[in-house]
Amino acid sequence: MKATQIGICGVAIHAPQRSDSRSLEESIYAVTWAALRDAAYDIDDVQGIVVAGNDELDGRAISIMMASGSVGGVDRDILSTPSSAEHAFVLGALRIASGQFDNQLVVGWSPVEVDSFNDALKIGTDPYWHRALPQDELATHGLQASVLEDKVPGIRKTAAAIVRKNRTHGAIAYPDRPLGPVEEAFIASGRPTRWPLTDTMVTAPGYGLVAMVLASEDTIARRKSTNVAWIRGMGWATEPGFIGDRDLSKLPSLEAACKQAYEAAGVKNPGTAFDVAEVADGTPYHELLAYEGLGLCKREAWNEFVASGTPAKGGKLPVNLSGGALSFNPVFCAGLVRIAEAANQVRGRAGAHQQPDAKRAVAHAASGPAMHYNTVVVMDGGKP
Amino acid sequence: MRAPRVGIIGIGQSEFKAKRDDANYPELVREGVTRALNDCKRELKDMEAVVYSLAPDALLGIGNAERLGVDAVGARNKRFMRINTGGATGISSVITGWTHIAAGVCDLVLVAGADKVGESGDSQTILNKIWDPMYERALPLGTITMLAMSAVRAMDKYGLTEEDMARVTVKARANAARNPKAHLRKTVTIDDVMQSRYISWPIKLLDACPQSSGGAAIVLASEKYIKENKLDAVWIRGVGHCSESYYMGDRMGNKIMADHADAHALGQSFLRSYKMAGITDPRNEVHVAELYAPFSNTEYHSIEASGVCGMGESMALMREGHFDIGGKIPVNPSGGTLCTNAIAVSALVRAAEIALQVWGRAGDHQVKGARVGIASGNGGDHQFFGTMVIES
Repeated sequence: MKATQIGICGVAIHAPQRSDSRSLEESIYAVTWAALRDAAYDIDDVQGIVVAGNDELDGRAISIMMASGSVGGVDRDILSTPSSAEHAFVLGALRIASGQFDNQLVVGWSPVEVDSFNDALKIGTDPYWHRALPQDELATHGLQASVLEDKVPGIRKTAAAIVRKNRTHGAIAYPDRPLGPVEEAFIASGRPTRWPLTDTMVTAPGYGLVAMVLASEDTIARRKSTNVAWIRGMGWATEPGFIGDRDLSKLPSLEAACKQAYEAAGVKNPGTAFDVAEVADGTPYHELLAYEGLGLCKREAWNEFVASGTPAKGGKLPVNLSGGALSFNPVFCAGLVRIAEAANQVRGRAGAHQQPDAKRAVAHAASGPAMHYNTVVVMDGGKP
Repeated sequence: MRAPRVGIIGIGQSEFKAKRDDANYPELVREGVTRALNDCKRELKDMEAVVYSLAPDALLGIGNAERLGVDAVGARNKRFMRINTGGATGISSVITGWTHIAAGVCDLVLVAGADKVGESGDSQTILNKIWDPMYERALPLGTITMLAMSAVRAMDKYGLTEEDMARVTVKARANAARNPKAHLRKTVTIDDVMQSRYISWPIKLLDACPQSSGGAAIVLASEKYIKENKLDAVWIRGVGHCSESYYMGDRMGNKIMADHADAHALGQSFLRSYKMAGITDPRNEVHVAELYAPFSNTEYHSIEASGVCGMGESMALMREGHFDIGGKIPVNPSGGTLCTNAIAVSALVRAAEIALQVWGRAGDHQVKGARVGIASGNGGDHQFFGTMVIES
């Protein structure tokens, strides 16, 4: 059986401002309709839906229940992947590839009403061994940064340069969004929040929502959909549950996800395969690990890679032209935003941060403590 | 397109009890996994992907508790995702496993999970938090009161009586007494049920499911893998989901979208599964059913939604023994959710029990000659429904 080609034909990313008085349900409704409009779909055209929210951040015991009406789930086939928002994208694509559906709507969200993000996410630790420790999600990122600084000399300066790069990109991409500082010296020497991370090295959680419309090649041809990002390869994998079982300086799950995605996409030399990349950057150290895991640059060359301007706008492989999570960090759906931004690049719909002639992109999403889940998507704007 | 053939090759269930303080949460997950792998003579390393079945985080008191289960299911550096559709999570997870294989990305998928509802304190207080914090959470809503309102509506619409409800419990307990995995295995009489205390009128203590702790797992395989390895299997021939509204008020009043006496979306889900499986006459083509019914009254609207009888007919047929083991279409021969409810895997167990039935491996609660079976799961505030057709 010939494998079904799947395309992304509608994308919407919302970053409501504090002055926005809409409820979460209304915002989910708004982002859903924006993605449908982008795809030239009506809700009646949608066959199935996969959504992802986080119970602790949403303050609900089964948060997807609330979203069901807003995304048009009533009387439809709707599933949810609370493990991560990027898993909703993976499952949406699988549901089309299975032949059960012609299209899927994928929606993820991350609100900011919770009083303490770190306390809410700390509930995700083991209640007997780890919860008594000051180990929130940001602390796991700090541990990861710490071990990397120990193993790869000189990367603290490079980490600060990545923050500056992404925030500079973010200022171009979304000038209306508030940005953190861009001065490298200030970034590296800011107030430690989870050592060695400084408060200027990370970005406070932001309120974000993202929706995408996926469809099979036959459906795309029948509807004459334009500006399609074709999914050529997709991989996803997990790290072990206990952080003590991991070498935080490495990401074998990212390597496994890459292997799946690159084999499917026929990517032999990832260092030269892509025109643009959107990668996980909850901290700049995440982006460094993504360079290595995606095969873009070995760790020995990290400092030179960044210093040469390769991942900057105008460089050989621009990374996070959207500004990444270092500019705008909707924690639970930041990974799905990376996939959406990469799709918009190859669709030619990235707006102010469009990479000229972007044909092929790689998206990398990571979520959970110290990049627990890793997902890789290779896409292009060619033909099915 | 003809649905790809995906088979069930291994099934594992732990013992379900009120408390499993002999096993922590990952150990409980591993219990079902080990039994499923032994059942199909495979190892963890053979599994190419894992779909993790886990409903609300709050029942375990751990956020994203699936992460703590990663090693229990051997998923390190493998494809892994969690599904949550409330009480329907188990069947939604099996269907997601089916999707992995039907999509052509894997040949072997493990679907697994566990729950410790019996150790969650008061599950109803937790489940109240599924409702909207502004509008409906302040009401005394729990899953029991929610479905008591369904019973009241069915009394008015179809003439459901409390004795009709008791009859379901009597059947379920008699069946569970023949199922060594079931949690509540003591047989009861209609009088026993009628004399038990009200929880939320008209639901009484013995009309209600227990809070169970336990784990379960299923191993799925592609037809290619099953043939190449000369394995025994039963086949998933139809899958579907459908949802109702979130707000309870949308199912009541003058502008109702779906009558709360019935399970409208469950019926739609079954139609989708039947269409995929090529079933046009469920009354005569279905031999056995495991339908998610945590309260006795909900078994009636689940039976009717499955299409094995007409609307409002199930109570008379129940009195005639139509749904007993030995009846025309036995419903919940395992004892069902009414006797065992570890929420994260209850609907997975429905699929597992139907697989065992059409395989001829259900032991003392085997339905003779069963070759085509159906399973369902209900989740949220009677909102999410998943269904499946399994054939030998």
